[in-house]
Amino acid sequence: MKVLFLGTSSGAGKTTIVAMYCRYLSRNGISVAPFKASNLSFRSCRTDNGEIGIGQAFQALASGIRPEVDMNPILLKPLGDGKIQLLLKGVPDRIISNKDPLDIQMATTEACKAFDRLSVKYEAVVCEGSGSPAEINLRDRDIANIGMMRERNIPAVLIGDIERGGVFAALYGTWKLIPENQRGLLKGFIINRFRGDLTILDSGITRIEELTDMKCLGILPYVNLSFPEEDSLSNRHKLESDEKYIKNLDSMIDKAERSGFDFRTLEKIAKE
Amino acid sequence: MNCIKKKVKEEIERGCIGSNLNCPYYPSHFFGQDCTFCYCPFYPCEDTTFGKFINSKRGKKIWDCSDCLFIHRSEVVKFVMDHLRAGIDCDDDKVKEIFQEAKKRFWRRGKAFMVLGATSDAGKSVTVAAICRILHRKGLIVSPFKSQNMSLNSMVTRTGSEIAMIQTLQAQAAGLKNTDFHMNPILMKPKGDTVSEVIVDGEHFADYDVTAYYNEFVPGPGKDTVKRSVDFLLGRYDVVVMEGAGSPAEINIYDCDIANMKAAEIANANCILVVNAEWGGSFAYALGTVELIPENDRKRIKGIVINNVRGDPEKMRSGANEIEKILGIPVIGIIPHVDVKLPSEDSESFRNSRIVGDGSVRIVVVKFPRISNFTDLDPLSLEDATIVFAECPEEFEGADVIVLPGTKNTISDLEWMKNSGIASKIISMKGKVPIIGICGGYQMMGSTLLDPNGIEEKIFTKVDGLGFFDNITTWKDGNKCVRRDRGTIVTTGGLITGYEIHSGVTEVNEKPLFNIEKLGKNDPEGSVRENEMLFGTYLHGVFETVDSRRYFLSFVKGAKIGRGVDYFQFVDESLDKLADAFEKSLDVDKMMDIIGVLR
Repeated sequence: MKVLFLGTSSGAGKTTIVAMYCRYLSRNGISVAPFKASNLSFRSCRTDNGEIGIGQAFQALASGIRPEVDMNPILLKPLGDGKIQLLLKGVPDRIISNKDPLDIQMATTEACKAFDRLSVKYEAVVCEGSGSPAEINLRDRDIANIGMMRERNIPAVLIGDIERGGVFAALYGTWKLIPENQRGLLKGFIINRFRGDLTILDSGITRIEELTDMKCLGILPYVNLSFPEEDSLSNRHKLESDEKYIKNLDSMIDKAERSGFDFRTLEKIAKE
Repeated sequence: MNCIKKKVKEEIERGCIGSNLNCPYYPSHFFGQDCTFCYCPFYPCEDTTFGKFINSKRGKKIWDCSDCLFIHRSEVVKFVMDHLRAGIDCDDDKVKEIFQEAKKRFWRRGKAFMVLGATSDAGKSVTVAAICRILHRKGLIVSPFKSQNMSLNSMVTRTGSEIAMIQTLQAQAAGLKNTDFHMNPILMKPKGDTVSEVIVDGEHFADYDVTAYYNEFVPGPGKDTVKRSVDFLLGRYDVVVMEGAGSPAEINIYDCDIANMKAAEIANANCILVVNAEWGGSFAYALGTVELIPENDRKRIKGIVINNVRGDPEKMRSGANEIEKILGIPVIGIIPHVDVKLPSEDSESFRNSRIVGDGSVRIVVVKFPRISNFTDLDPLSLEDATIVFAECPEEFEGADVIVLPGTKNTISDLEWMKNSGIASKIISMKGKVPIIGICGGYQMMGSTLLDPNGIEEKIFTKVDGLGFFDNITTWKDGNKCVRRDRGTIVTTGGLITGYEIHSGVTEVNEKPLFNIEKLGKNDPEGSVRENEMLFGTYLHGVFETVDSRRYFLSFVKGAKIGRGVDYFQFVDESLDKLADAFEKSLDVDKMMDIIGVLR
């Protein structure tokens, strides 16, 4: 099983939803590992064999396994002044910058190798995209989104953040800007951070399903999470204990199931 | 009438004077106005383009044109001067003739121009402010407009109407002295999770839940209100810069949305779409927004602005070119992130940070769930202060000043404060640091609060306040106090300004904090116990004067006494910086073409 969660923007809720799905699968007896090909983040976590993005460490916890470097083979730590430290397979490799950019081909190859190793070891690999997959100015440099879709044919689910408004535009626009030969891999979408009356969304959802052929998997409520989101936007959450984190995910899963979240279709997508 | 005629005669004899910078009332309307005719030679023109009949206090019908700008346009002044000079004592018919000729030559219905955003917080308000200032600097007479605003930050206009704070800021950007309720004719103030108080034409109209608002209000009074206001503004200003609300592409409620494309249609406005690049996905948001809007409306969108770009804006260029090609709409600006301090519109801004500044005085503000008018705190950032919006008792540790700000639901938020442990923490700090309550926060500082009819939210027969003041606040009926104030601090005589918006009435049994000038008399306002460092007032904007900040900071041990920066001036300079930044990255000529005014 493999599936890639993409976001229409950063902060759309990818990290949490990946963790939630990892927990869902592991609760159902499926061995699962998280994966994010490349990660741009200040915050990292030490594993037995190197550093990875903190998001993947949390997702490993949700999967009930120890974190390892293959879960995030490319980690980019901003150093300021346009300089970025590249950690390759968990180990500092070199400093990259505008003048001396990341070798995308090399990075993609390494990411694919790591993904393949996880695919052998685990029944399911749940992948997380990075930022938006529709940054058309950076299309050739994308690894974690359309890069992995292209290289490993991973079916994808798009997450839109409704809190900021414009979620239908974001879903449709993102879908439309994915290269045509890969658009077919976009199988479903999720509306995240919703508050209020669900039925008000119906006509909009139907329209997006018709326009894009993506299936709406569900609408997730706004949750104030007590563990760090992985991007640099919100940094006020403190690290909480592991049990509380798992309990939070469980309650998210329960709430999602009660609200009719379509885990079955998601499973079908991941098995394709 | 004869008195006015005499004044006009004097004005004509004096000749054109341009802006009268020495007049204490300058500008009565807008910076740069022509003050030659302080008394209008055409009064009463009785032309409803420029004014209306109102009832005087004595019940007589009088012609009110206090919001007319026509006679303050220099080209009109010059024309009138040239024609009236010839015969100073010309009769009424002659004056009427000249008036008709002046109207024919110089009056044009203004151009409407709309700024849409792909999301909330896309930077619409700031873009409108920047454009208002750019056009004002070009000598155009400009008004901001937002048909429907949802915000708990509101302000009071010259005539005592309530509108959103952000339109007041944009009016300042446009160089206007006064705001008018037509600039924001519908203001929604959320009071529960689904119910909002709806203010129409600056006054309380009714409470609506989401369904009733869309089904009853919007198709009926809503649409008419927008039309009336748009007509009013277009009759007076060269350009009306309209702001959308949220995203215009909420296809599930498209037909009920009067804040975006419907308003554009009513005003016949060309639009630009602003997208915030900060969160990523900006091209997708732009494309999706344009393409989900029905074709008829889509045609109005003539430009795209990519806003708030961090890093090198040129990196966005290739993507912008591709979007231009797909949509056939030019990207008229890629605007870098601009670092200016301006009042922020709504609590969305708390999403990123609840700490402002890094000065030595730690000012801790209770972040009520229904916090309102939190821009009251903004002037304090001019001082050597750190402002923390606190949600738990621990954050009050080490506070040098505590502020209880305004709230939409005073009693509910008071209960929240008690349950969160914040109330007892604040009580334990009484007498150790200054505690300042504003509006709802002031009401909480009293001994008792009663809302026997559930005016504000729901029925509360008797609730204990914090007990700092021996005051009782009661919500008796829906009567709301909405007014602007000016006065002095009782103990120092320092200047104080502000405005009141509240429906509760407080029986005060304390020494007053301020004296408010009212029709030549002094009205006591607020409560103070200086020895316990307790201060309470109904005045929003209370920290805007230098004297006020100096007074309150004098109670903080070791604090530097006020920096003496004028807040209006500070905001004005920030608006100039903002406009400079936009001018650098925005194709202004292209924008002028879209607006439809000659460059």
